[in-house]
Amino acid sequence: MSTKKRRVGAETPPFVWVGASCALLFLLLPLVGLLKRVAWSGIFGAVTSGPASEALRLSLITSVVATMIALVLGLPLAWVLARIEFRGRSMVRALVMLPMVLPPVVGGVALLGAYGKSNGLIGGWLFDVFGLQLTFSPLGVVVAEAFVALPFLVMAVESGLRSIDPRFEESAATMGLGPSERFRKVTLRLLAPSLIAGVAVAWARALGEFGATITFAGNIEGRTQTTPLAVYLLLESDPEAAYALSFVLLAICVAVLVAMRGSWMGRRS
Amino acid sequence: MVVAVVLASLLPTAVHASPIVEVSKLKGDLTISAATSLTDAFTELAKQFRKVNKGVKVRLNFGSSSTLIAQVQSGAPSDIMASADLTNLEKLVASGNVVVTPKVFARNTMAIAVKPGNPKSVRSVADLTSLSFIALCGKTVPCGVYASSVLTRAGVVIAESKVTRGIDVKATLSAVANGDADAAIVYRTDVSAAKKTVVGIDIPSAQNVKAMYGIAPIRGSKNPANAKAFIDFVLSEQGWQILKSFGFQRP
Repeated sequence: MSTKKRRVGAETPPFVWVGASCALLFLLLPLVGLLKRVAWSGIFGAVTSGPASEALRLSLITSVVATMIALVLGLPLAWVLARIEFRGRSMVRALVMLPMVLPPVVGGVALLGAYGKSNGLIGGWLFDVFGLQLTFSPLGVVVAEAFVALPFLVMAVESGLRSIDPRFEESAATMGLGPSERFRKVTLRLLAPSLIAGVAVAWARALGEFGATITFAGNIEGRTQTTPLAVYLLLESDPEAAYALSFVLLAICVAVLVAMRGSWMGRRS
Repeated sequence: MVVAVVLASLLPTAVHASPIVEVSKLKGDLTISAATSLTDAFTELAKQFRKVNKGVKVRLNFGSSSTLIAQVQSGAPSDIMASADLTNLEKLVASGNVVVTPKVFARNTMAIAVKPGNPKSVRSVADLTSLSFIALCGKTVPCGVYASSVLTRAGVVIAESKVTRGIDVKATLSAVANGDADAAIVYRTDVSAAKKTVVGIDIPSAQNVKAMYGIAPIRGSKNPANAKAFIDFVLSEQGWQILKSFGFQRP
């Protein structure tokens, strides 16, 4: 923090300024383009109309559930990756990160291969034993979203766990706190910023999910048609509604970033 | 190469009628936007076209006709538009993106696609009501519009909550071939192209539609001569034989 008032820019070569400006322009121009297309007067009506509001409602519910699943499953996994030495750990980490780099459509095909009712590895069994069909169901949307969101949470939480000074937890142990209590009272508090950041990116990723969802859960109005799917289909039949929905997604993401600023970006700089 | 040889042997008349000896002087690019259901046929047409027009670099852009129309209208560079319906092409005429009257070059019909072995014993359009999930194309995509007409003509109503909508005909068929949809209504040509993964069930002509395929050059194209040459090729006897080999019918 003490370095902040150093001669700012004195050593910055010109190409950095040019490059950075271009990068910023490259990122912002499409957003301006989107905002320009939104028909502000009719935005409320467009977003509250039948298919659009159904899609928004479905998106909010499924993305929240998917994020909760990612949190419950991701936290222990991040713990193992950050704190337990075992052979092949880097291999496991690479596998965990795979859905981040996999094209989402491929992720959807993979999910079909595992949970598809007619030809998935365990999909038929799930249906026969529990009567559970994930494809074409809102639960399938949750599965697709959690699949792509989980690695983002694991990555954020793992790096958070690594950055915690072990002496805090050690001293808590010497004070007689058991493992669970230690986790709740010490680790979780120190981890909170990374946890919030992880939850936020995982949720944003789940909310924006397209490829895995349409491939695995299908595109059924009011059932599996999430907002990104609705945007894509509405672009042809009702562009105004598509732009309005896009704006709502954009606004939600901006709100998340602003909310995260204090807990994540602010503290690191 | 193998495909070309096989095709040539299948089409003796076409080959003799227009011997491929002269190589045209056409040069430059040619971007063709074509309906997804034309994927196989136009890939082959482009391949044969290139044999004669070696100087032309052909680029194929496949998508649902409604998506392609929107692309052209928003200024995407394209020299030719080949649509699976005439309604969408008329939109291009109306918006001034096409100046000549589109030419109708092929006809298609719809069929039901089910999983191999037809496990749900689907025999007719009416049987679709008893299934759990049906795959149809998006409501504004031509194959989705045609499927709606088929359902209306057959007097069959399927609840929207049982319909998963594909973004184009291949994606729709894939929901049956690779996913858990029980059936799809798609083009007959797509069913036969995917005969390893799905089984087709004919729809009687009283309930069926005539899907007319139209082609037109795009206004403002930088390669009008190439566009004209390709359209002429599609409308030629050799072009027709290729379309026919993929299951298309005379318009």
